[in-house]
Amino acid sequence: MRTSRTLGLIMIAPAAIMILLFFLMPVVLTAVFSLTNMSTATGISGGAYQVTQAAVNRLTTDMPELAAAIAGPRFVIDEEGVAALEALKLKPGLAAELRAEHLGEVFASRREAERVIKALKDRPSTREVKRISDLFNRSVLNTRFETRQALLESLRKLGFNLGPEEQEAVAKATYTGWVWTADNFRTIGNSPDMAQIFLNTAFYVAVTLLFFNVGYALFLALTTHYMAAATASIFRAVWLLPRITPVVIYVLMWKWLTWDNGFLSLFMGQFGYPPRNYLLDNAQGAWFFVILINGFIGASMGMLVFSSAIKAIPETQFHASEVDGASRWQQIRYIILPQLRWPILFVTCYQTLSLLASFNEILLSTRGGPGRATEVWSLAAYHTALQNYTGNLEYGLGAAMALVLVVIGVILSLIYLRVFRYDTLISKPLIED
Amino acid sequence: MTIVSILRSATLAAALLASTAVIASAKDVTISVWSGGSGPNDNYRVDAIEIAADLLEREAAIRGEELNITVQKTPYSGWEEFKQALTLAAEAKKAPNIVATGHEDIGPWAQAGLIVPVEDYIDLDSWPINDIYPNLMEIASFNGTVYGIPQDAESRPFFFWKPHMKAIGYSDAEIDTLPAKVENGEYTLKNVLEDAKKMQDKGLVQPGYGFYPRTSNGPDYWQFYTSFGGLMEEDGKLVFDKAAMQRAYQYFADLVAAGVTKKNHIGMPGDQWWKEVATGKAGIWHGGTWHYARLVNQEGLKDFFDNVQFTLIPAGEGGKANTLTHPLTYLLMAGHDQETTQIAADLVKLASEPRINALHAIKSAHLGISETETKVDLYSADRWASEATERLLPHANAMPNNAEFGKYWTIMWKNLEASWTGAKTVEAAVNDTETELKATLGNSIVIR
Repeated sequence: MRTSRTLGLIMIAPAAIMILLFFLMPVVLTAVFSLTNMSTATGISGGAYQVTQAAVNRLTTDMPELAAAIAGPRFVIDEEGVAALEALKLKPGLAAELRAEHLGEVFASRREAERVIKALKDRPSTREVKRISDLFNRSVLNTRFETRQALLESLRKLGFNLGPEEQEAVAKATYTGWVWTADNFRTIGNSPDMAQIFLNTAFYVAVTLLFFNVGYALFLALTTHYMAAATASIFRAVWLLPRITPVVIYVLMWKWLTWDNGFLSLFMGQFGYPPRNYLLDNAQGAWFFVILINGFIGASMGMLVFSSAIKAIPETQFHASEVDGASRWQQIRYIILPQLRWPILFVTCYQTLSLLASFNEILLSTRGGPGRATEVWSLAAYHTALQNYTGNLEYGLGAAMALVLVVIGVILSLIYLRVFRYDTLISKPLIED
Repeated sequence: MTIVSILRSATLAAALLASTAVIASAKDVTISVWSGGSGPNDNYRVDAIEIAADLLEREAAIRGEELNITVQKTPYSGWEEFKQALTLAAEAKKAPNIVATGHEDIGPWAQAGLIVPVEDYIDLDSWPINDIYPNLMEIASFNGTVYGIPQDAESRPFFFWKPHMKAIGYSDAEIDTLPAKVENGEYTLKNVLEDAKKMQDKGLVQPGYGFYPRTSNGPDYWQFYTSFGGLMEEDGKLVFDKAAMQRAYQYFADLVAAGVTKKNHIGMPGDQWWKEVATGKAGIWHGGTWHYARLVNQEGLKDFFDNVQFTLIPAGEGGKANTLTHPLTYLLMAGHDQETTQIAADLVKLASEPRINALHAIKSAHLGISETETKVDLYSADRWASEATERLLPHANAMPNNAEFGKYWTIMWKNLEASWTGAKTVEAAVNDTETELKATLGNSIVIR
């Protein structure tokens, strides 16, 4: 018994590792990202400490004296700097000339100090000029410190002896990287736009699911069930076309149908209607086509599942019911539907999750327009975290949005299992180990 | 083995050794350059680096060094894909050496450490950098450090289809003085709406084609905020002028209500838009100086100056006429060794020389980056470049280089789009903008 268990574990190990790597890890990482303010500006791999004008502004309220003192750049040609320059072992004339000609000079900007350095007779290269001017930098403004220690050390050298709390405040105000925060969830909770996108998503999923992925699929399965076998297969094949056509081409065909110079406009032009973009003209039209585009793809899967489930019903039941004088409707109501509960649960559950997560058809057709009318949650998360015109990719907020989707998916699945009474659908296995 | 043969083989060995030494001193460098928003007329954004590489190789050869530079060019036609690809490549430490992108990326990218300051590698007091317009160099700076070298300049005019203007009663002389009238505030955005309506009422253009704005998000829309008195940044802090923004939102809502602009205008296919403005299907529209190149080269509008008048963006209530310049800048990406970055910087510097930069300016109908460039024959002989430079550039604003500006922009645009399409009322849109700006930007933005 024990060996068979170990063997089982070994057998399942590759799959378990795959699940861990490709299913659980992304969710865990999403959760981690969602608790940060990670964005293009903060970077992903960490930050540095930089006293920028913005950082000085942040410090002004709590530590006005310090903020005022570090607000200006200051370059001083002093003995300490010249000594450091000598230690660099560049051309000896550089240090000598600075000491002889410029000792004690103060400059208000790096550029002015560098002009003096560049004019030295030994003419250092541009990169050397930078190294030299750094030695005379007597301020911290705009210098990028890789560690907090380096920043505090520089401040200490400049005569700012900060207490632990002040150090904390300075580090916090000057840090350029991401920090842990729950603000993303607050933003999601408070933003009226997020509420609108949430409603959009609920509408889109509910309508597509009800009318197409389950409703229309069921209708197709039932009608083809009562057709002659050959006709039925032709119908089913036709309804599989949206699924097997590459999505880019499939959506392009819808665009040809609906755009200003597309088929619909041409057709309506015959009756004197001016051409218009039926896909993007208004929110209702956009929703109509977005749901059709997705529904026609989604219907095929339900159709296949339901058809095969109906095929699995013993034919004798239909014969018997016909002997009893049952109508088609009664057959559907009392024979087919009760035996389709399990496939309907499966299709509902599966399609809910895939509709919640899918956005490629919407991205390709309306891009969430017109005016974000068809922006659904997953598309908004994608736009927020990975693709928008301003290039401001907010990884943290996007991850938080994705996480909300995961949670909603799990909750809905649990509700479905309860509603369809999953426990009564599975029978206890007859063989126990 | 005789002495002679020993000597001979020794000489041979020495010669072989010497030849390997020559080979070892030859330096092979690969410099990759990416550019965003680069259509068929913008090839010199990346090609200029190739020309520069040729020059740099020759200079090295004269110094007795063998330098072989391979330039890998990757132009992107759009912005979304470009910024996505670049940001993620940089985070994965696979960034290109040089990138030509909008100056507004400097803020966030510098903060994230994705780019290195160009002033660490280029002497800003040396030619041709010291010749570049100071305001453009300012636009390429962040936190007092010069991060980029301006790659081009431009400005964004209003365009009027002359035949339609005449048809609603403007004389030739009046059309000629229109730019001046716009500049001193006599002709305003209100007049734009009225004239667009007249064109439609007369049946010159179809409903919704009177005023035909850009079909997607872009820096252009900040011009309207400026026209209505808005300010983007002050003393390093972003500014949200609620009343000005409300007037700008209201203007687009009014355009839609008057029927001169389509409610579903945003997101319409770009190709269709170009074809329509090039053929007089639209009455008044706005764009950038580079539209000239596309209209003339790709859309077949050969007699541009007979058909089109261009002006500043007219003033609205509370503001003045303006335009916006959105220079692209060459930036040096972090994550490469110093020597390669130095070569990349040298290439950028060479590519900024007037004659090379003029190739891009004229081919793509952008504006030059320096005074000397306007004296290059190719440039000075071009009517569009000289007229547009004179009429528009002195009034040009730029978007601020601020690490938080992208967030502001996203929120501003989202709500403009919502009030334009009627998804929100103007009041709701501007209130939502305020709420969201407060929540996301906190005290990095001044709300007035």
